[in-house]
Amino acid sequence: MIAFEQVTKRYGERLALGSVSWRMDEGECVVFLGHNGAGKTTLLRLITHEIQPTLGTVTVGTFRTGRMSRSQRALLRRTLGIIYEDFRLLNDRTVFENVALAVRITGQFANDQVEPMVLHALDQVGLDDKQHAYPNELSGGEKQRTAIARAIVNRPAVILADEPTGALQRRSAEEVLGLLKRVNEEGAALVLVTTRRGVAENMGGRVIELEDGRVRPREVAPLGRVRVAES
Amino acid sequence: MHFFFFREAWRSFKHHRGLAYTAIFSLTAALAVCGVFLVLAHNAELAMKLVGDRREMVVYLRDEITREQRDALMARMNELYGQVTYVSRDEAWKEFTEQVGDPALLEAVDGNPLPASLRVKLRPELLNFTKMNEAARQVADFPEVEDVRFGGEWVKRLDEIGDGLKRGALAVGSVVALAIVFVMYNTIRLTVMARRPQVEIMSRLGATDRFIATPFIVEAMLEATFASVLALAAVFGLQRAFLTQALHVAFIPWAWIGIFLGAAVCLAWLAAVIALSRVLRAVGA
Repeated sequence: MIAFEQVTKRYGERLALGSVSWRMDEGECVVFLGHNGAGKTTLLRLITHEIQPTLGTVTVGTFRTGRMSRSQRALLRRTLGIIYEDFRLLNDRTVFENVALAVRITGQFANDQVEPMVLHALDQVGLDDKQHAYPNELSGGEKQRTAIARAIVNRPAVILADEPTGALQRRSAEEVLGLLKRVNEEGAALVLVTTRRGVAENMGGRVIELEDGRVRPREVAPLGRVRVAES
Repeated sequence: MHFFFFREAWRSFKHHRGLAYTAIFSLTAALAVCGVFLVLAHNAELAMKLVGDRREMVVYLRDEITREQRDALMARMNELYGQVTYVSRDEAWKEFTEQVGDPALLEAVDGNPLPASLRVKLRPELLNFTKMNEAARQVADFPEVEDVRFGGEWVKRLDEIGDGLKRGALAVGSVVALAIVFVMYNTIRLTVMARRPQVEIMSRLGATDRFIATPFIVEAMLEATFASVLALAAVFGLQRAFLTQALHVAFIPWAWIGIFLGAAVCLAWLAAVIALSRVLRAVGA
């Protein structure tokens, strides 16, 4: 599904990731835990091919790092569902339109197919009554649930969550984590990065700790789900 | 899906009204200049055509030729050069007396000195100085012909005016085309930069360049259409308000209006495509 082989990423002289190797299979949940600047976001950006590794290989499904055209990169991103700490919603569109955008981007569905897909996703995150609201009319938790609906509406194989509870209060954070767990249980692989140990432990998946761009030789994970290839 | 792109274009238009209005008014000004020039060029062309229709070659005949020789010459000229009309000596004298008018002057002329002639309304492809000159030299070599006149200098001058108008139209058209590309290029670039967060989000959701670019291209084409219609309305108003009072000036024909609108929209499309191919990479989409 996703594999990092001896991946190093440098920004000039600064090392963001140093010879990191790991892999995950379909339906798995992997949580990357680390402080700010540990390399978590770099790792996500490598998965989405926003950046290229300085050394090593990143494989996502059938896509591999290297010379990838812009249209191939777009195709790769359509196989992922991405959730950001700051939600990245379009403020001039309603909740419905924000979620519908992800469906329209695929170019695979006719107009009459879009609405039921969006309503189903909103129903899954409990926002069916807020479909006509604009993001600035929502609470932080509702915004993140909108972002989750947008991420899951196309039923991607992998969900990437970049500190999804970072901007949320405790109760909203718990709701969002519960939702992500449910999405994972329904079959989507989940890669979550966080600075909070509590979040990592709460998710119940495999935890990989990052420190200064390197994988720490320690894991907090349920028995039988530990698999980290150390650099 | 197509309706979606139009709705997106309209959304972008509404959110960046200032930019859109600036683009529309800049384009309207450039296109109005072009429109005024088109009106002038069209009327000049009409005038040239009118004058051109009157361009003819006069072939003076020798007095001694027979009727059969004359008919044979007319048939040959009809075939080679255009429509031939015979003017006898008497008809030529009648025309002359009508033009002079003063009997005292006519009395001074001893008899009818005018020769019979053929007036040749030349074929359209011969209506330029070089071709007419060549035709006149060929006709002058016929044994039945005394002399040939076609007002060479006048024809040459008309041709020069016609060429000047064509060059002027090309120059103004090129400047306006460049102005359209420049205005649309910068407008689209600024619009995309202003909507950078949206473009980035769409890109991260997996939108192709085409999906992101299409609403902006539609917006550019709509702005060019609005500007063209406004420019045509302004030129039409100008023509009605001022020109018709002084002299009869015709408005641009429908075919030209179609080409004018089509060219403006195509140029806007081109400018938007160029701008987007560069700016989408620049915003890291």
